[in-house]
Amino acid sequence: MNIALRTEGAIAVALLTGAIDGKSAPQVQIELSPTIESFEKIILDLSEVSYLSSAGLRLLLLLHRQATAKEGKITLIGLSEEIADTMSMTGFSNFFDIADSLEAGLKALN
Amino acid sequence: MEALQLPATLDALGPIRDYVSEASKKAGLERKAAYNLKLAIDEIATNVILHGYEEAGLSGEIKISFEMNDEKIVLVLEDRGKPYDSRRHEDPSEADLELPLEERAIGGLGIFLALKGVDGFDYQSENGNNRNVFSMNRPN
Repeated sequence: MNIALRTEGAIAVALLTGAIDGKSAPQVQIELSPTIESFEKIILDLSEVSYLSSAGLRLLLLLHRQATAKEGKITLIGLSEEIADTMSMTGFSNFFDIADSLEAGLKALN
Repeated sequence: MEALQLPATLDALGPIRDYVSEASKKAGLERKAAYNLKLAIDEIATNVILHGYEEAGLSGEIKISFEMNDEKIVLVLEDRGKPYDSRRHEDPSEADLELPLEERAIGGLGIFLALKGVDGFDYQSENGNNRNVFSMNRPN
């Protein structure tokens, strides 16, 4: 699991690469937590995430809570069909902001 | 394909998923079925490692093997940790799944995803040996 961070204006964009499972999810949380603290608007780009288990859902839930507590916003982009299925089966897609592309994500947050 | 046996730590998850993907390929499973099977086994393996071994203060190994016939592929995940039959786990209700994220309980979705994604699931625990058995129908 690798995380590449960059900014687009005032928006932080985190590109996650690899599998988000019970082993990597806690590490991702530790690495992304400071970004959620310092940015109000964050895009999580999951286009290079090959796998996401319930540990990944739990991670998204924790990040969402952390952002909401300080009135921040997270938008997800790049969901594979399988990950979109997992999020839809668990009702997560109803509550997360999901955009089809980086451009759409930036537009929604701006 | 020989069985894969590894120390029951979270480091085993990646190799177990690779093993399942390889087996799915041999069985000719479609992409979605292969992903669901991988998700199911990874979820249960994670529970075995975290709850069956680590939280129970136990250490040991986790093993995965597979066999197939014309109709289906069967994967068996074996361990000697604290037994847990995932079928006893209560699924989140429709109402739980519609709760906003602020009110969600953390956890509890893994078994739901696992058992929903496979064509067959069975569990046996005998003489300290626990077997989680997953099956998927092969495409005609």
